[in-house]
This record gives sequence, structure tokens and C-alpha cells, in this order.
Amino acid sequence: MVEKKIYSKLGEKLANGDFILTGELEPEKTCDLSHTIQEAKEMAPYVVAANVTDSPLGIVTINSMAASHIIQKEAGLEVIWQLTVRDVNKLGIAGMIMGGHALGLRNVLSLTGDHPALGDMPESKPVFDLDSATLVRLVKEMVDKGTINGHEIEHPPTLHVGAAANPNADPMEAEILKIGRKAQAGCEFIQTQVVYDLDRTIEFLSEIKKYNVPVLLGIFPMKSYGIAKGFDTFVPGVDVPKDILAKWKNIKTEFKDDKKEQKRVYDQANYEFFKPFISELKRKGLLAGVHCMAVHYPRIFPKLMEVIQA
Amino acid sequence: MTVITTKKPFEEILSVLKDVKKIGLVSCGSCAAMCQTGGTEGAKEMAEKLEKEGFEVIVTIVPEEVCDNRLMMKDFRQIDEDLKNIDAILTLSCGLGVASIVKALERKYPLIPVFIGTNTEFMGMTERIGRFYMHCRGCGDCLLNETGGICPITTCAKSLMNGPCGGMVNGKCEVGNYEKDCGWVLIYNRLKALGRLDLFSKLRDPVNWSESGHQREVVWR
Amino acid sequence: MVVITTKKPVEEVLNVLKDNNAKKLFLVSCGVCSALCQTGGEQGLEEWKEILEKEGYEIVNGLVVDDVCDNREMAKVVRKNDADIQNADAIVTLSCGLGVQSTIEVLSKKHPQKKVFVTNNTEFMGMTERIGRFYMRCRGCGDCLLNETGGICPITTCAKSLMNGPCGGMVNGKCEVGNYEKDCGWVLIYNRLKEIGRLDLFSKLRDPVDWSESGHQREVIWR
Ligand code: SF4
Ligand code: SF4
Ligand code: SF4
Ligand code: SF4
Repeated sequence: MVEKKIYSKLGEKLANGDFILTGELEPEKTCDLSHTIQEAKEMAPYVVAANVTDSPLGIVTINSMAASHIIQKEAGLEVIWQLTVRDVNKLGIAGMIMGGHALGLRNVLSLTGDHPALGDMPESKPVFDLDSATLVRLVKEMVDKGTINGHEIEHPPTLHVGAAANPNADPMEAEILKIGRKAQAGCEFIQTQVVYDLDRTIEFLSEIKKYNVPVLLGIFPMKSYGIAKGFDTFVPGVDVPKDILAKWKNIKTEFKDDKKEQKRVYDQANYEFFKPFISELKRKGLLAGVHCMAVHYPRIFPKLMEVIQA
Repeated sequence: MTVITTKKPFEEILSVLKDVKKIGLVSCGSCAAMCQTGGTEGAKEMAEKLEKEGFEVIVTIVPEEVCDNRLMMKDFRQIDEDLKNIDAILTLSCGLGVASIVKALERKYPLIPVFIGTNTEFMGMTERIGRFYMHCRGCGDCLLNETGGICPITTCAKSLMNGPCGGMVNGKCEVGNYEKDCGWVLIYNRLKALGRLDLFSKLRDPVNWSESGHQREVVWR
Repeated sequence: MVVITTKKPVEEVLNVLKDNNAKKLFLVSCGVCSALCQTGGEQGLEEWKEILEKEGYEIVNGLVVDDVCDNREMAKVVRKNDADIQNADAIVTLSCGLGVQSTIEVLSKKHPQKKVFVTNNTEFMGMTERIGRFYMRCRGCGDCLLNETGGICPITTCAKSLMNGPCGGMVNGKCEVGNYEKDCGWVLIYNRLKEIGRLDLFSKLRDPVDWSESGHQREVIWR
């Protein structure tokens, strides 16, 4: 049996089979990352690593490779560098993989990326030279074989490569088969889109279990009613259940005069929703951990630690 | 009559038809006929090859234009009996032909697989039969009136809007061993000859891609 | 007969003519694709004659040509109308972009200085549902995949031209691009392959498109 090589803390925890927590950071249209670094520092004691997004929704932000490097250096938190195939062709991406390694990045998440037409520079040429599966394959070739397109790399990079999955996808079977392709390409971990429907999640995770890739389930603890409502409205294909929205609305009105208490109650409500949800999936052996996608909500992490340790 | 097609290797077609025995052959009488990938000749040639390999060619039609839904519906109505009896359709047309056939069959025979025997290359200018050139890529916002009638999107290897890139030597492009003309040198020469170098000096915006690509359609009624 | 064209705004064309000081015009109208798209043919020719004459231009000649994009056809036209071409300040083609370049090529020996302008934008190679309903369904990638994708082209029906879709951006089978109004190409492919019992083709990991031969003055030459 080939010994699995380990390049990062994330790689190590996954290899050990530890149940882990990862977070998410969303750099914005700015050259100053101090807010993001602050947030990274706050979540650092709880998470193994945090994702750094790559111009989500096609809205231009600071480059994710640069931001990943700065955050990792300044906040001392390992990052999962998100890299979309939207903006750079394969020649450029291969160069970025070597650059990312040289800058100390050891985890990369392969994504298709939202189409430029959705964002704030819609005239941009949509590249998509690779896709999310062939990017995984390229990284694996570079890392495992030390080559690019058959050409030798003098000092090859060492990174773990993951991919995304969407349990809400319809038709589900198409998504499952697609994960099969990513697994075939050599994907080492999966982070899922946020999902609220437990039955659907169980069905989905059970189906992809056969690919033997550790899965981190995407969750979105909701800091306030406004954020829950916004998520429900603006994230296509994900619906926040009606009863949750009602409960959060209730918290909003009931505690409107005591902000401190309101925060506590929101946090508790998140805990109460996610604890049974995660426990059930953990018990069934379907998960390797949880990926918290709520940005600007670092105070929830101690509670989430309790959830995953339960 | 300008969609340029070439033949797929026959082995590739055979491997696709693995589980198929009875075939309906559709061969385009228009562009593909001109490119000698379709038409009556192409159909005959293909039918012979297939029969030699043990396939049964149940029916052959040579529609005037496979890419026109209306014509395909008419033609299919006439061979309705045969359609019931075939495992698959093989079309000798451009890729549009397949879309058109699938659409024409979608109500009555949604499950008949449709295969294609050609590769679709480009919209081509014809010098003569056997010499076809790509000179337009259908960008949707034609620049020719500003570039002396020479299209930078097709004649420049980088589709630059503000060329040349500096990669030309003696007017030849760096791409392809300095054998082809640099598109932007052609444009420069022509604008100079026409006394319109002012147009050459103009700084042009990048191509606007926001409306490009996705299931484009032109619908006006 | 499937190169789909649309009309440039009249203003744009008039500006070009003014800017180039072209007063005496020779009109060449495509009798094939552009006639079908009603941007050329007899009808387009009449329209443009009227517009231009009203604006004070002199129409030296106006012809409908069977295939403007065919050098052989254009060579005939040029031979027969040499005097008029000589006399015109510019040729205006009611055709696709190929027509313009075909005209220039044919004129290159005898009238290399003759200006050639175009009244249309060239959109794509289109499938015709009926007159006035044309759809892009093939982009001429040169290495047709349709035999593996159930006859549905991912390069044209997927907004990202993915080889290994869907991207996850679809909701109820509709694509994230364009407000969830158009079908996701890869869901269409999935549905079709499922119907015809060929999901094995869907599971296949496909290589990226090979761009090495794309783009630059492509040609097909076999004699
Ligand atoms: S600029 Fe080129 S690609 Fe665009 S329509 Fe004109 S000839 Fe075609
Ligand atoms: S040498 Fe000329 S044709 Fe070639 S890429 Fe440069 S500008 Fe374009
Ligand atoms: S795969 Fe699509 S773009 Fe390529 S030749 Fe076939 S139909 Fe045309
Ligand atoms: S939603 Fe479907 S059609 Fe749209 S970009 Fe994604 S895979 Fe392509």
C-alpha cells in the first residue's frame, strides 16, 4: 500500500480521521486585508484551516492567491486556497500552482467559479479552459508525478487538492456522477454547498461514500434574521427552512431591546439546529468534518466546537 | 453554403455505432455537399462502407438543409415507417444538423440516438471546392468597416483589438512558424493604402463578452 | 445557408460612409444566408437603395449575388461589372463578414484600393426553426463531441463551454447565466443520456478542449 503523503495540517487531520472544522474568509475589493486577518485570528483556535474565496459571484476582489499568502503569514492560520478556472487558462493556472506553493500554500480547492456575466465586470472573457475536474487532475499530475503536460518540474509543488459538491443539485444523480469524475481525477477532500434538508443530505452523502473521499459538510450558521433571510433569497438553489426563518424572526423582535441577549439567543438557536443535524451524519459515518461558510461571524466557533465534539 | 465540415475517421464512427445495427442515413444537400462530406455522393460512400461492415442502412435521405427544422420535419414525415425500424440515425452534416434532427424528432421519436460523421470546422469563405478559409467568427459586432475589411478576430492569432503584438517578423505571425501573414500588418497595409491610418491609430475597447456564447439566438418573430 | 446576420443600425453605416467620403456606391446583396435572415437578398437591397438614395448617395449598381462568400461567384460579378466598380467610391455588402473579405480578395488584383463596407453584424452559424428564429447550436470546434453527449453540444449549450459539467450553478435545470431562464446544457445532456441508456458516457472524465490548432486563419484545404 502506498503511504499517503502529507503536506498540511488539513492533510494530516484528514489522514488521521479526526473530525474537523474549517472556516471561510472572504477578502473584498481592497488591498488592505486587516479586517480579514483579524477574523482569521479569531477563528484560528477552533478551525484546522480556512478557505479564502476567489471573486465569488464573479465580483472582482483581491486575488485569492495573494490574499491566501498574506492571511496565512499574518494570522498564522492555514488556508485552503480557492482557485476557479473562470479567469485563467491552463498555462496560467499551472504557473499559479507553483507560485502558490512557493508562497507557502498547501491546500487548494478546485472550483468552476461563477460566470463573469453574474458579476461586476460582465464584459470579461469567460475562460474555463479547464473545468473543476481537470484542474484537480492537473494539480495531481504536478504534485504526484512532478510534471506538467509531461514536462518535468524542477522542484514540484506539494499541495492537497479538494473540490466542491452540491447536495441540493437537481438532478442529484448528475452531481453524484460528477463527483465520481472528480474522485477519478484524484480529489483528496470535498467541501459541500450549504444544505438544510437532513434526508436529502443523508441520501447524497450515502451515494458519494463509494468514492472514498472525505467530506466536509457546508453549514451556514445565521448571525441574524436579516442574514438568514438574505441567504434564503440570494443564494440560488438553497432554501432556508420556513420554521428556521420564523424562529429567527421571532428572536429578532423578542430581543430587540437587549442586543447582548439577542446575540446569545441567536448563537444558542444555531447550536440547537446544527447539533442534532451534524450528530446524526457523524453517527452514520458520512462525514469527516464540517465547513462553516458563515463569514463575519467568528464568535460562533466555540459553539460549533461543541457541536462537532458532541 | 459556408459551414465547413471535414470527415471524422471512419474508425471513430464505427466505434460510436457499436451497439447499432439498423441505420437511417441523413446527408446534407447544402454546405456538407459542397464540402464533399455529405450530399448524394457522401451518402452513397458512407452507405457502402457501412454495409461492408455488416450494418443495415434502412433508409437514406438527402435533405436540402438539415439545419432547417421545417425541412427536416417534412422529410421525416415521408419516412415515418422507416423511423420505426431503425436503431440510430447517422447524419453527414454539421453539428447544427444534429440539433435540428433531435428537435424534429423530439415529439414522436425522442429516443432515437443521433450520431454524426463529420467535424464542424468554421464558417468559411470558398476560394474553390477544396479550399475554404475561416474569415469570420461571428462576433456579433462587426469591426470590418474600421479595419479595412480585414477581420482582426480571425486573422490575428491572438484576436487582438489593438495589434500588432510585436511578434511578427517580416509581416509574418509568430504562430505557426512565421508562415501566415500577421493580421494586423495586413490591416496596417490596407488602411495605409486606403489613406485611413487614422483608423489604425484608434485605441479600441476589449471585446465585450457579456452576451457571448450561451445558447445565442436571433429571434425577431 | 445558415450564417446568421443582423442589421447594423442605419446610423452606424451612414457614419462609416460619411467618414470615408464614399458617395457613389456599388451594393452587393447576399442571396443566400443573408436573404434568409432578411438582412440581404432582394428585399434588403431595395431597403438599402431607398435609405441611401434618400440620404443623397448615388447607387452605381445593386446586385443580388448567390454566394458572396464564394470567390468564384464574386469573381464573375466583378468581371461583368468592371466599369461600375471602377466608377464607385466603395462597395457595400449586405452579407456576413465572409462576404466582405471574399469581395476584397477578388478585387485585390484589379482594384486593390477599393473600399468595401458591410451593413450587417455576423452572429453565428445557426439552426433555423423558422424565419426569424435562429439558434446557435454549433461553434465549429473541429472535433465534434456530439456522439458522446447524446447529440447535445456542450460547447454551445453550456454557458461555460465545460467539458465536464454541470458546474453546480444550475437551479431546477436552469443555468445561472441569464437569470435562470435558459436550460443548463449539461442537465439536458444528462437527461438525454439517461433516456437513451448511456449514463456511462456521462460519467466519463473528458480532456479539456485542445486549443493548439484553433483560431488563427484556419483553413480546410484538400486540393
Ligand atoms: S469583426 Fe470579424 S468576427 Fe466579427 S462579425 Fe466582423 S468579420 Fe465576423
Ligand atoms: S504577429 Fe500579428 S497576427 Fe500574430 S498574434 Fe501578433 S498581431 Fe496577431
Ligand atoms: S462539439 Fe459542438 S461545437 Fe464542436 S463540432 Fe460538435 S456541435 Fe459543433
Ligand atoms: S449551469 Fe449548466 S449550462 Fe450553465 S454554466 Fe453551469 S453547467 Fe454550464
